[in-house]
Amino acid sequence: MPQTQPLKSLALPLALVSWVALLLTTLLRANPTLLAVQLPAWLTLLAQGVFVGSVFLHQRYQPDPLRGTDFVGVLRRLIMGPGLLASICVGLHLLERLLQFQLGIADRTLFAIIYTLNLGLFVLFLAHTCYTWRSLVLFRASPTVHKQWAWFEVLLGSTLLLRLVNLQLPLLAAGIILGALGVFGAYLSSHQRWVAYLNRRQKWEVILLQLGVLLALGVFTIYFLRIRHDPQLVAPQPQHAFLLLTVFFAAFYALMGLLVTLFNLPTAGVFEQKREEIMTMQRLTQQIQRGQSEVEIYTSFFDAARQTVNAEAAWLRINSLEGEPYSRLEVVTEAQSLAMEGLLKDYNISGIEYLNNDLPSSSGFRALDLPFGSLLVLPLRSAKHTYGDLYLLRQTRQGFDRESLSMLQTFASQTILSIENLRLLQDSIQNERYKEELKIASSVQESLIPKTLPTDNWFEISSHALAAKEVGGDFYDFLHLPGKGLAILIGDVSGKGITAAFHMAQMKGIFHALMQENPLAKDEKERFPLPSKFMAMANRALVHCLERSSFITATLYIVEYESGGFVFARAGHCHTLYYHSLKEEVAFFRSAGLGLGIIRNETYDKYIKNQFYDYNPGDVMVIYTDGIVEARNAEQEEYGEERLRQMLEKTYYLQADEIKEAILEDLGEFSYGQPIHDDQTLLVIKFKTAQPGTHP
Amino acid sequence: MKITQQTSENTLTLTLDGELDASSSVLLDTELSQPDILNNKKVLIDCQRLNYISSAGLGVFISHLQRFQDAGVKLAFFNMQEKVHNVFEILGLDSLMTIVPSEAEAVAL
Repeated sequence: MPQTQPLKSLALPLALVSWVALLLTTLLRANPTLLAVQLPAWLTLLAQGVFVGSVFLHQRYQPDPLRGTDFVGVLRRLIMGPGLLASICVGLHLLERLLQFQLGIADRTLFAIIYTLNLGLFVLFLAHTCYTWRSLVLFRASPTVHKQWAWFEVLLGSTLLLRLVNLQLPLLAAGIILGALGVFGAYLSSHQRWVAYLNRRQKWEVILLQLGVLLALGVFTIYFLRIRHDPQLVAPQPQHAFLLLTVFFAAFYALMGLLVTLFNLPTAGVFEQKREEIMTMQRLTQQIQRGQSEVEIYTSFFDAARQTVNAEAAWLRINSLEGEPYSRLEVVTEAQSLAMEGLLKDYNISGIEYLNNDLPSSSGFRALDLPFGSLLVLPLRSAKHTYGDLYLLRQTRQGFDRESLSMLQTFASQTILSIENLRLLQDSIQNERYKEELKIASSVQESLIPKTLPTDNWFEISSHALAAKEVGGDFYDFLHLPGKGLAILIGDVSGKGITAAFHMAQMKGIFHALMQENPLAKDEKERFPLPSKFMAMANRALVHCLERSSFITATLYIVEYESGGFVFARAGHCHTLYYHSLKEEVAFFRSAGLGLGIIRNETYDKYIKNQFYDYNPGDVMVIYTDGIVEARNAEQEEYGEERLRQMLEKTYYLQADEIKEAILEDLGEFSYGQPIHDDQTLLVIKFKTAQPGTHP
Repeated sequence: MKITQQTSENTLTLTLDGELDASSSVLLDTELSQPDILNNKKVLIDCQRLNYISSAGLGVFISHLQRFQDAGVKLAFFNMQEKVHNVFEILGLDSLMTIVPSEAEAVAL
């Protein structure tokens, strides 16, 4: 408020000036011989009134002494500051008086100086006390109380004015006014909300400090009451009324505060416990964010719960902790805990919230002969999952109340939240790892599949490869065999992800290693291994790296341009679909052949056969993996070999590319809207009439 | 996938119901891995309700094949659906494993 600014800055100088004036007039009154005229009493009263008023005003404009909720600090500053100072002065004065009495000296001047000094200090102390009480009364008080306090101040001030003009009211009226003001002060003293915020230790401290305030006030009161009738007193009578009223209020508030604090002492434990519960809650909450293990979360929960209800014994039984059961016992033995769990199961109350505050009255628990009076069972449960149960025991009967039960419930739900958060986090890390693995696997798969197709005048090749989301193990490869023809390998590795990609790479390595020209070959036939021979050797090589449940299906074709024929061997791979242009017929080559890695000894050779075939221009060979024929539609039907056969019947006259596109289009229509379960690979080879002079 | 067991006279019959894919093949593997399964003379697999078998499912049978043979336990499949049989045939497993049309024939083995 801007208009209070001059008042604010004037208060302190005014207080000083008025105090000096007070000192002077008192001195003059003490030595009437110094001045010819007798000073009127109102002059002293005026100086004193202005002094008191300006000190209170100055104090009023000081910042609130209460910082946050440091109630003890406020009281300590009051006692250690003005309180101590004023009390010492009064004490000294009393000592001096005593000495004077003993020695019989009576110096009115010294007496007057010390009296005025004490008065000043006392007013200072009172102002401090009043405004300290104000901040305590107004701590979180309603606006009404704020208004009431303002009125109290005005009324207190007006009594000061009343005394200033030395108005002689009838005794009854004065008594009524003072009494009413006293009652008002007492009413305001009832506002002791701040006491609830103290803990036990602070309450003791506050009680001592308030005793200190009362002591200081008591010393003053005795002093001023004694001095009232002292013949040496030079001050006018009426000022005592104001001082006593203020003392009354200050002392009353201090006494009320003392009593409230004292009676609040027994409840301090409860408040502290509540605060401890909140702190525990906070700790529990913080532990979620730290990404701890489940065991750590359960341990914190266990400890927090035990502390909160002061359980003498407890145990925690968790059904599944990362797959393993987990339990933690405190004070009770495994046998005791199991006995109690068994009993609860017999009563058909296991897995639910259960509170028994009078165990000895239940015959079942009495039979167990355990030193406990109360049992609390708290299930740890979410909507989807039951994690386990917490059992808390106390020796006394009526050991648990509803309050702590609801707190424990909050703990439990917080714990479950933490556990579920942790699991989600772990899942997402795991997922991230899988994603990373799949990324690697698909890039490996990508790199294993040839980027360029062999171009030749003898045939056309068209290829298609589509990987399912979870990388499977389809692969194909080509290899030029110098002076002979072309080797084509197609295969499917069982399993998915990085293992499949790894086996694909091995298979590709085996293919390139085995399809080398044999320099010791005696005739044309032995220059390159026959497909069956290749499969047998590949099987032998794979035995060392394939795990027992894995296998590889493959078909190897060796196309010989010169002779116009090809030879192939099928190791458990899908049958080859073939269009025979002379017979104008579409059929599968249905030959026997066992997948690689299924039999791991020399008998494998028996299960693999070569098949020779002479091709004619216009013949079409369709090579594919099971992802094509096992693709499903909305009715969960498979695309199947028959539908594939019919597609070739319809499209055999087209170019290899067009045949492939037609088949894929049909497949897409068939499985429209369905996810791709498995990798799909499709190769279409169409033989052409040889163009002389252009073959390699 | 549901797997039910039935034992009679040294014969264990497993009935497979549903689709045998990567996730359900773990269940089957657990069943077939039990040590006391080798106390049987025969292990018969009822495939009447087996609608689909993935390579992971086939892998489970393949991985136990040698173990059963070494212990002298016969493994046989019966009531196999056409398309499932086709999968066994393409892979060449029909020449390695015993697949018979009916339960009676399986029991008579």
